[in-house]
Amino acid sequence: MATTIIDDGVSTSAATVTGRRAGPRDEHRAGWLLSIPFLVLYLIFLVGPAVYGIVMSFFNATTVRPGLGKSVGFDNYRSILTSSDFWSSMGHTVWFTVLTTPPLVILALVLALLAERVHRGKALVRFIFFAPFVLPVTSVTLIFLWLYAPEIGLIPHWFETVGLTPPNLLGETKWAFLSVAALTVWWTIGFNFVLFLAGLQEVPRDVYEAAAIDGASPLRTLTGIVLPLLRPTVVLVTMLQILASMQIFNQMYLMTAGGPGTSTRPVMEFIYDTGFSDYRAGYAAAATMVYFAIVLVVSVVWFLLRRQSNKEVGA
Amino acid sequence: MSTETNALDYNGRSRVFKIFSGLVLTVFAVIWVVPLLFAVDTSLKPEGEIAAHPTSWWSDHFSFDAYHKVIDGTPILTWYINSFIIATLTVVLTVAVSSMIGFALAQTRFAGRGGVFAFVLAGLLIPGQILALPLYQIVQSMHLLNTYWAMVLPAAAAPIAVFIFESFFSGLPRELIEAARIDGASWFGIYWRVCLPLCRPAISAVSIFTFVASWNNFLWPLLVLSNVKQMTIPVGMSAVSSGFGILYAQLMATAVLGALPLFVVFLLFQRHIVQGVARTGIK
Amino acid sequence: MPEGSEDRSIAASVSRRAVLGAGAGSVAALLAGCGSPVATGLFGAAPPTHNLTYWNLFTGGDGDNMVKMETAYRRAHRDVQVDATVLTWGTPYYTKLSLATSGGAPPDVAVVHLSRLDTLTKAGLLSAMPTDELSAAGLPSDKFTPAALRKATIDGAVHAVPLDTHPFVMFYNVEVCRKAGLLDASGKLKPLNGPQELTAALRAAQRVTGQYGGVTTVTNDPSTNWRFFATFYYQLGGTVLADSGTRITLDDDKAVKALTFMQSLTRSGLLPKSVDAGGTTSLFSTGKAGFLFDGEWQIPTYRDTPVKFDVVPVPHVFGPKLVAFADSHALVIPRNSAMNPERRAIAMEFIKSLLDSSAIWAEGGHIPAWLPVRDSADFEKLRPQANYVAAATAAEYDPPGWYSGAGSQFENIVGAAVATSQTTSQSPAGAVRAMRSGLQPYASAIPPVG
Repeated sequence: MATTIIDDGVSTSAATVTGRRAGPRDEHRAGWLLSIPFLVLYLIFLVGPAVYGIVMSFFNATTVRPGLGKSVGFDNYRSILTSSDFWSSMGHTVWFTVLTTPPLVILALVLALLAERVHRGKALVRFIFFAPFVLPVTSVTLIFLWLYAPEIGLIPHWFETVGLTPPNLLGETKWAFLSVAALTVWWTIGFNFVLFLAGLQEVPRDVYEAAAIDGASPLRTLTGIVLPLLRPTVVLVTMLQILASMQIFNQMYLMTAGGPGTSTRPVMEFIYDTGFSDYRAGYAAAATMVYFAIVLVVSVVWFLLRRQSNKEVGA
Repeated sequence: MSTETNALDYNGRSRVFKIFSGLVLTVFAVIWVVPLLFAVDTSLKPEGEIAAHPTSWWSDHFSFDAYHKVIDGTPILTWYINSFIIATLTVVLTVAVSSMIGFALAQTRFAGRGGVFAFVLAGLLIPGQILALPLYQIVQSMHLLNTYWAMVLPAAAAPIAVFIFESFFSGLPRELIEAARIDGASWFGIYWRVCLPLCRPAISAVSIFTFVASWNNFLWPLLVLSNVKQMTIPVGMSAVSSGFGILYAQLMATAVLGALPLFVVFLLFQRHIVQGVARTGIK
Repeated sequence: MPEGSEDRSIAASVSRRAVLGAGAGSVAALLAGCGSPVATGLFGAAPPTHNLTYWNLFTGGDGDNMVKMETAYRRAHRDVQVDATVLTWGTPYYTKLSLATSGGAPPDVAVVHLSRLDTLTKAGLLSAMPTDELSAAGLPSDKFTPAALRKATIDGAVHAVPLDTHPFVMFYNVEVCRKAGLLDASGKLKPLNGPQELTAALRAAQRVTGQYGGVTTVTNDPSTNWRFFATFYYQLGGTVLADSGTRITLDDDKAVKALTFMQSLTRSGLLPKSVDAGGTTSLFSTGKAGFLFDGEWQIPTYRDTPVKFDVVPVPHVFGPKLVAFADSHALVIPRNSAMNPERRAIAMEFIKSLLDSSAIWAEGGHIPAWLPVRDSADFEKLRPQANYVAAATAAEYDPPGWYSGAGSQFENIVGAAVATSQTTSQSPAGAVRAMRSGLQPYASAIPPVG
């Protein structure tokens, strides 16, 4: 496909030689032709679903049949907005985000600061923390189902070793959230850790030297200089983490399937359950759109924050 | 990174700090390693011993039995092939289309460029899997379910990759392109022969990120790949693992086998991968 | 290129070929021959004919028995390669089956619960089996348990071949009941009729065990709660849903009556108020409870324990005639435009073969729906299975509705409400109100199918 562009380009470009406005027509055409393959995919598979999702949400669409079905106006929205199942699943998603974001940001930052200090073994440490991140989610959940297994798992065993009665790690709502959050921290902390390490590298050497000459204590250097310079990275990691945690589905689905009952079911699984298991595509599309709107607000906040913190650092 | 000076402490008090840091890091590193080691350990024990001493690390009869059983009893080798083909196709397509438009946005001034730029930028706000349901309907109407393309095509529409390439191409000096134009190169020639070879780091960052994301994707293949022989590693494992019931050695062997390919790749290219992730995230 | 007058499906397939052809031709030629998973992945081709794909959801003892039945087929049909896949039980299984079928890549044969059949059929996911096709395949409809076949018939057409009936039953510990004087001269449990007799029997058993009279799972098992409740509620003649689930027909008086009786058992300590599945197994297998209310599919679980037990239908506490809550496993052929008559014949032959080996299936506690096996001398001798054959004839299923069936939202909602009454944290009337309010959003929603 793309090779045809070359021929066209060559024939016209010979005439154009210098200047900013040289050959606008052929530059214009090349720009578009190079953009089109992506734009087509982008329109069909990213913009398309967003638009089609809105359309679907006004119909009684069925997952197992093509087409939209009967138009139902705002009925789907009305029942989603008043559905206690939907809002409690939204609550579970938010609770999971609250449980995972602080450790995944703070612990990752602390570990990165510590790793920055050691001379030997840094590569090993980085390897150990990052390695779980490349594992497929199913491997991770199989391993943790085994570690958490009542009576026979390693973790209940540790509880007993220190003299505590092991809780039902996945069978009890309160613990199920914590167990899946712990798994998530183990699995994904390496990503944030690496981002923080990269951010720390960007802190110029002479800043430390200047601080040392001024006789600043290590703590002072950290809080007064390193952390402020790291702010854009902290904002970035925090927002990426919130957006990632807000989309929780995989681990929760594989570990608890939203249970016991639906007491840990995240909103993405609510959409999965209603849209795919119950065939209620139109209804689930309305849920998708409400959820999408909420995540969009978070994304926009991130955008604004990032612009602002980049500006501050740049200035 | 490679300097001998201590990053946070120039005041000579670093010894205590260093030991403290080392200790804390060691503790956490041990916590991080235990799940993986225990999984491997369990997978090598006979089922009978696991039932009798589930939390014991030692066995008198370590063996690869469970691995043989998993490889013989499940289509895991087919899943490897599927995952590999899907991830590779996704990488090739993503790099191709996003580098082309990235180049176009950075180095050509076509009418409507600003509009296209803003349009693609807005895509960054659309979060990954939330739109799975309408996307499923679209892919279904295109009759692509249960083909690799259901995985590959949507994954290639990644605005983030466009911006990584765009920012890289923007960094190339304008004179380079002007010179190539004087030599009579076509725009595609400039993209393909002049600029693309210069942006290997961007290519490797996008490739690595795309490959890992594709390999580990779960929700989407769970929806679009329902034919067991068409499945990828994570989905196939979850679909059949219930069949093992409480055969923990086989479950852990499955987990280890599923993790193995990327783990080996990561061992070999650790530096590239970590840099790639850092670059993708920071931009 | 043809004009714009062609129909949508052709246009779609043309565009797909265009997309697929773009870069993949040479790669595919390298990687795969025709019919391999890779070729299917790249081109969406149908798998070869002499390769039968079969999905089921059986693990444990049932899983082992099913493998034996598949082996029997393989031995007789060496030219057909059977690809059997076991998928996660419950809703995930049905989601997968639905998506596979609507995505054009279903298995050739699949197991479903008859309680789910109505919804699957109305969603257009199953291919009907005309009576003459069934007869031609050696499966005449008069050779099945009538209750099961009735449930397999939707709008006058058979859509599934019933494999079994698996009722909710009562297990009893033989030693405990002997000591409690509940057995007759031949060592069988004396018939128990009405609430008083069952309560008295449980009390007698409790005196022997010193702990509980009986047990049924309460915690984290809404399906069992629902089955226990449905057994008594159905005996009272109650119904829950009508018109494909769009109407709630719950009879408050009858539901309260059933729940009040059930709660009296836990309140008085005859049954534990709060016990999960593991606890139930442990209580009954160690003789700390004399009776167990559970599915007959638990028989293999207790075979492996020292407890000496027998199984009978749940006594008719209410009403004059026996009514047993049950479900059935059945074999279906999902709708598939790529299936040709030859392939379909192979599928039918496979189904017939599974039915013929359903004596193996009965080992798992199930009552074969295939009468040639059920009425055979071998099955007559099978204990305890032969004790509760009557339950298959008297089987009542989940009410039809797009959200009901094995492991469904319906069972979760009603079961969870029953649990709150069984733990005595809520009154029977409160639990019935919870059922109603839990079901209401589903009943008032526009059904996605039907």
